[in-house]
Amino acid sequence: MLCIETKDLRKKYASTVAVDGVDLQIESGQVFGFLGPNGAGKSTVIKLLTTLISPSNGKISVLGIDSAKHPLEIRKKIGVVLQQPSYEPTLSAEKSLEKYGMMWNIDKKIRKKRTEELLSAFGLEEIRKKKMDDLSIGQRRRVQVAREFMHDMDLLFLDEPTVGLDPAARRKLLDFLREQVKNSGLTIFYTTHVLSEAEYLCDNIAIINNGKIMAVDSPSELKNRFGHEKTIKIHISTVSEELKSKLSTIPECQIKLEPEPTVIINSTKSEIVLMNILKILNETDTKINDLSAIPTNLEEIFLKVVGDSN
Amino acid sequence: MIRINPIIRLVNRNLTISINPGFIIWQILFPLIYIFVAGFAYTALIDSVPFGGKNLDYPAFLASGMIGFNIMNSTLISGIIIWNDRRHGMFEQIMSGPFTRTHYILSNIVTIGIIGLFSAALITAVGYPVFFDSVEFNIVTIPLIIFGSVVGAILFGSIASIISVKLRSSEGFNVIINTVFLFCAFASTAFYPVQGAPQPLATIFYLNPLSYLVDIIRAGIFGQVTDFVITEMLVLVGLAAILFVIATKLLTKLDF
Ligand SMILES: Nc1ncnc2c1ncn2[C@@H]1O[C@H](COP(=O)(O)OP(=O)(O)OP(=O)(O)O)[C@@H](O)[C@H]1O
Ligand SMILES: [Mg+2]
Repeated sequence: MLCIETKDLRKKYASTVAVDGVDLQIESGQVFGFLGPNGAGKSTVIKLLTTLISPSNGKISVLGIDSAKHPLEIRKKIGVVLQQPSYEPTLSAEKSLEKYGMMWNIDKKIRKKRTEELLSAFGLEEIRKKKMDDLSIGQRRRVQVAREFMHDMDLLFLDEPTVGLDPAARRKLLDFLREQVKNSGLTIFYTTHVLSEAEYLCDNIAIINNGKIMAVDSPSELKNRFGHEKTIKIHISTVSEELKSKLSTIPECQIKLEPEPTVIINSTKSEIVLMNILKILNETDTKINDLSAIPTNLEEIFLKVVGDSN
Repeated sequence: MIRINPIIRLVNRNLTISINPGFIIWQILFPLIYIFVAGFAYTALIDSVPFGGKNLDYPAFLASGMIGFNIMNSTLISGIIIWNDRRHGMFEQIMSGPFTRTHYILSNIVTIGIIGLFSAALITAVGYPVFFDSVEFNIVTIPLIIFGSVVGAILFGSIASIISVKLRSSEGFNVIINTVFLFCAFASTAFYPVQGAPQPLATIFYLNPLSYLVDIIRAGIFGQVTDFVITEMLVLVGLAAILFVIATKLLTKLDF
């Protein structure tokens, strides 16, 4: 089933086009990563999908419900952790969870049980009695994310939920989210700037820039598509005129003289190019000092996709 | 699972976050101390106050004025809730949950209605011995008091809401809301009779909606429903309606 579907989604503000013709088709039961540089339009898309703001143009269907017609019906079935903090300053961590469950009309008994479970799952037991106002920023963020699991939902939006979390809490959260998707068939729409996190968690990833979707695929497919252009660096001792002229016949390589003489190969077939270059280096008696290949990761793909689109 | 109305759920939340010791002291203890200390201390200066066809002694006059003052004060709550919700991200959070803006607005009205009526009832009960001699409750006057309380709560709640929507900085919000409410409190007939005031001040008293609210409540307690009080009721209702529409418009347009 399609969990989220948008057609030609646009959002204009006075001077900016925040979202510029986004078409999304997201299947249920997965973690969908939504990546993009600052100001790309990620949070705006989340606000549109959660019916907080209405689009300037285009159609949105969430969980099969038309957002223009029945926004409240959508909101009843989703959970949202927005990018900005949200908390009741005067309540304790424990009471915040409890009251949030009450606001979602969760039975008192279930509320109590879930509060205990979540306090433990998010490592909040020690600060359960502390007022939200007195918590550290990361602790507050943990309560905010934990709180969203007080109620049942089919779809959860998380806008940079791990900002401010320490590495252990971060990993704990990612594993908790994976578990939820596996056990309850929850779908998660997830934004982050930490690409290793996206690689660890997401089944599919979309990259957005300037309000437009640049690529959508699984992390491994994205690597295949964009990451097959490998980079190999050969550090050499000297650059002779002969070497220069011979290398100029190979367009996939370039010579850099600073900080040390280096031949850089940037190609989809870097292995074959490498063979040719080694031959030339041999012919010209050039000594190789060092050689390195840079493995592709999501970060590079991100930089490449975003760089290309700019 | 029993479905509890979303407005009731929000009211539950509003009451939980608003009721704290500081608020209770301000809301209940301060008026009571004021009634007993000021009421009796000023009796020496202000002998009796003519109201409708009656002469009230000053403690009775003050205690009845305190009810109106307390209703106005309790509506500060709605401004504080809205302002805090926006500042701490709870407004967006609620609006992305199973609620509508109408739920949110109505829950605020119900909240100040409950706190307003509760504190009015409390001051009435405790102040009762003070104005016992002159009281004339009857079938017309009790609904009048409740009506006045509710309309007054909506009126001042709307003012507080408008201020909270318009102001973003903490200093601005506190300064403006305290100035407006303090001005309303002291330039009104809540604490001093208009008869004793010099002419310009007396005019200001009647540019102030709290004077109308206080007069209506006094009319209810002491059974003096005059033509003037009926005019005041119409003005109060009209003003409350206008301010409520403005507050609702502003809240509905609030962007994220
Ligand atoms: N209320 C608003 N009024 C005017 N412009 C806005 C508003 N909200 C967002 N924008 C603009 O829309 C664009 C997209 O913003 P958005 O918050 O969606 O970015 P983002 O991808 O979430 O960035 P970040 O990674 O920094 O959170 C930005 O250029 C921003 O300035
Ligand atoms: Mg954002």
